[in-house]
Amino acid sequence: MKKVRLGAGSAYWGDMLEPAVEVAKHGNVDYMGFDHLAELTMSILQRMKDKNPKAGYIADIVPWMRQLLPIAKANGVKLITNAGGANPEAAADAVIEVCKSLGITGMKIGVVTGDDIGDRLQELRDQGLKFRNLDTGEEDIDRIADRIVAAHAYIGAERIIDALAEGCDIVITGRCSDNALFVAPLMYEFGWKFEDPYWDKVGAAITIGHVLECAECATGGLSNMWDQAPNMARIGFPIAEVDEEGNALVTKVEGSGGLVNEWTIKEQLTYEIKDPTRYMMPDGVADFTRLKLEDLGNDQVRLSNMGGDARPETLKVQIGYRDGFIGEGQILLPWPDAYAKAKKAEEIVRERFEIVGLEAQELRFDYMGVNTLHGELSPEPSCDLNEVGLRIVAKTKTIEEADKVRREGTHLWTLGGIGAAFGVPFKPRPVIGLWPTLVPRSDVETKLTVREV
Amino acid sequence: MAEVLLKDIAYARSGDKGDVSNIGVLAQDEKAWEIIRRELTPEAIKAHFRGLVTGKVNVYEMPNLRALNIVMEGALGGGATNTLRYDQTGKALSTAILRMKVRTDG
Repeated sequence: MKKVRLGAGSAYWGDMLEPAVEVAKHGNVDYMGFDHLAELTMSILQRMKDKNPKAGYIADIVPWMRQLLPIAKANGVKLITNAGGANPEAAADAVIEVCKSLGITGMKIGVVTGDDIGDRLQELRDQGLKFRNLDTGEEDIDRIADRIVAAHAYIGAERIIDALAEGCDIVITGRCSDNALFVAPLMYEFGWKFEDPYWDKVGAAITIGHVLECAECATGGLSNMWDQAPNMARIGFPIAEVDEEGNALVTKVEGSGGLVNEWTIKEQLTYEIKDPTRYMMPDGVADFTRLKLEDLGNDQVRLSNMGGDARPETLKVQIGYRDGFIGEGQILLPWPDAYAKAKKAEEIVRERFEIVGLEAQELRFDYMGVNTLHGELSPEPSCDLNEVGLRIVAKTKTIEEADKVRREGTHLWTLGGIGAAFGVPFKPRPVIGLWPTLVPRSDVETKLTVREV
Repeated sequence: MAEVLLKDIAYARSGDKGDVSNIGVLAQDEKAWEIIRRELTPEAIKAHFRGLVTGKVNVYEMPNLRALNIVMEGALGGGATNTLRYDQTGKALSTAILRMKVRTDG
């Protein structure tokens, strides 16, 4: 039976390179998928592109390709990445430069575009699209229309499949769904289509993509197994060996760090999902409640009986907009009476905010070491703590107001009780609000360009 | 009435999408599965997270994995990009649910 081996190469912008190199070298994989994008990332990249038309992609792609390309070429591994971000063409230029500098030729690079609908919002509004906010229910984008930074559709696997059919060795996309980086090679290799009777197979591919797309989060990262997973500094990224019936064996390179077992895969299957019977992606819908999971030991988990349903007629779009600023300050207070000192410091800084007339839409105090993470669920400390941090943070409309928070935080160095220690003050930071919405699939025209080096 | 902490019978991991946090709660064995599917009702979870979660709570069963997926709206103080919380993506909410006391004797 035909089998295809997929490896994960990255879970986020700034992930580790070494495990990706290990998969390319020793994973015996046919394809690797590299996810670098999160909900906020596209707005950050779009702003980089607005300042410099050659920027706006994940710059890591340059050092990564420098290391990965010679190995991938030698081992026949095809690389699929959404590092194109807000500027896939410029990312392809950069990768071509890498090829030239390494003396690598005979490569085809597929560039997938069309996810960026920022310039088309007005045209689509004129056609009657309202861009209803999926989270808040607000009916149209009037309120934020003059503050929009970026708008990108989460596109699926179609153009990547086309690129593989054209023989591309590398595929670079923009805001392609993380998942599609893995769905595409499976659909291409097995000839699965976006139609009946393939939706169960597409559902299986989406499930496998979901297991792989967060890389180390399936192999002992972000895990309850934190105290059992060995050698985490040398964690192995997950690999799935998939057969043409849509069953998968999930594993990692032998001897790499981390762990693949029942728990690490269950953690990943339940990660960042809503209704598990309908995990909706641009390429289809996966049902995670039908599959069978078997822990075979030796870092091997088998997934079978996966399935799903037809793809939705809409695509998710994330619109990013400028939404004010956050100002923050912190001090750390020592034993004795650290908690009491922190409480008194809060009283002082609140009065200082009144004196300087801080205009904040929201103000928050955290007692670090006491309640920062579990908030109202945190029990009161039962001993005189060694140290307690006071974190002061506010949301403001202007950068000037946000800077008042930083400034008054620094005044606690002298007003805040004996022994108050401080690190480096935080600069006010701009906030990007996110507006998730749906658009008809037919309104997003994706395009493949094939370049050669 | 016999009670245990959820942390003694289950694992949990949380993630985010906008202002929604989801927690996958994994029963450590069949007995734990019977307990969590009975005890972790939307009402009990909403009460547990009072102050942290302002919106609706849904609980989905995944019997094939002996897991519950708990989806909590209004759970992140506005969502990762504009929340004032230190834990912008609510990764620690997975451990906060493990503080729940659950009845073991039905």
